[in-house]
Amino acid sequence: MKDLKEISTRLKIAKKKIKGVDEIKRGSNAASLGKALKISTELVAAVVVGSTIGFLLDNWFGTKPLLIICFFFMGVAAGILNVIKSAKKMHNKL
Amino acid sequence: MALNPMHQFEVYKIGPEINISGINLSFTNASLFMTISAVLILSLMFFGTKKKSLIPSKIELITEMSYSFVAKMINDTAGSSARSFFPFIFTLFMFVLFCNMVGMLPYSFTVTSHIIVTFILAAVVFLGVTVIGFVKHGIKYLELFVPKGVPIILLPLIVIIEIISYLSRPVSLSVRLFANMMAGHTMLKVFGGFVISLGLLGGWLPLGFSVALTGLEILVAFLQAYVFAILTCIYLNDALNLHH
Repeated sequence: MKDLKEISTRLKIAKKKIKGVDEIKRGSNAASLGKALKISTELVAAVVVGSTIGFLLDNWFGTKPLLIICFFFMGVAAGILNVIKSAKKMHNKL
Repeated sequence: MALNPMHQFEVYKIGPEINISGINLSFTNASLFMTISAVLILSLMFFGTKKKSLIPSKIELITEMSYSFVAKMINDTAGSSARSFFPFIFTLFMFVLFCNMVGMLPYSFTVTSHIIVTFILAAVVFLGVTVIGFVKHGIKYLELFVPKGVPIILLPLIVIIEIISYLSRPVSLSVRLFANMMAGHTMLKVFGGFVISLGLLGGWLPLGFSVALTGLEILVAFLQAYVFAILTCIYLNDALNLHH
């Protein structure tokens, strides 16, 4: 019985050590580099999608330059929103 | 021809031309390398799980590591409710990873450096996640586009911006993978070309660079597969747990 107790306390200590190492590692591993690469394209993609929607709607309604300008700026806003969202997600995780 | 850095991305057909009702379905080098990646993954999984020894061999270790890596990723980002999507995300991650890694071998072809491949993968993820969201939450899934606490005057504008932001997901997902792979492989080829054209006198510096870049490219190949999988998890999380 005594042995079992000893083992369980030793297990607990070992597990704590592992957890500590894990938490230190999390900040510096490849995941953070992945996050950095992720943000850059998010900004561009929304602008492209916004402009494309504007272009298509322009062709559809025949209002040539008007909607593409509006949707370009909305795309920029959406891109910034994307970046803010993913930055917030990172912040919550830390 | 060999010095052209874009020559490596050329798709050509292997074997006879197959035309089914006007659609060209010929077997190309892209299909060949996709098949190679799939066969490699299947054989890794087959041989890794065949023998269940107490002390795992290297191949078993790789299999178990990849399993626990993806399982942990899903648990951390999408929670336990996404655990039933493990097979899909695992397949996606392994496929992208192996396509990237097979592309790092000399004389091989990088499937993921073509936007159509990455875009189809991203479109499957995007459509799947949208369908899952609607199945799980019904019409309430549209609440995703209506953030809380927005004045009623601004609401139409915000909804349009949110919809654009939602639609930009597959684009950013596919462009990221495609651009990284293509830029990296072009750069490797350009530096390789420098080694040849500068000759024995000046070729050593670009040679060193291309060695360093090869290491970087292997990191990028892994990282892009990781980012692709983790973003799928994040989108799945948005669809499964609304307002989190």
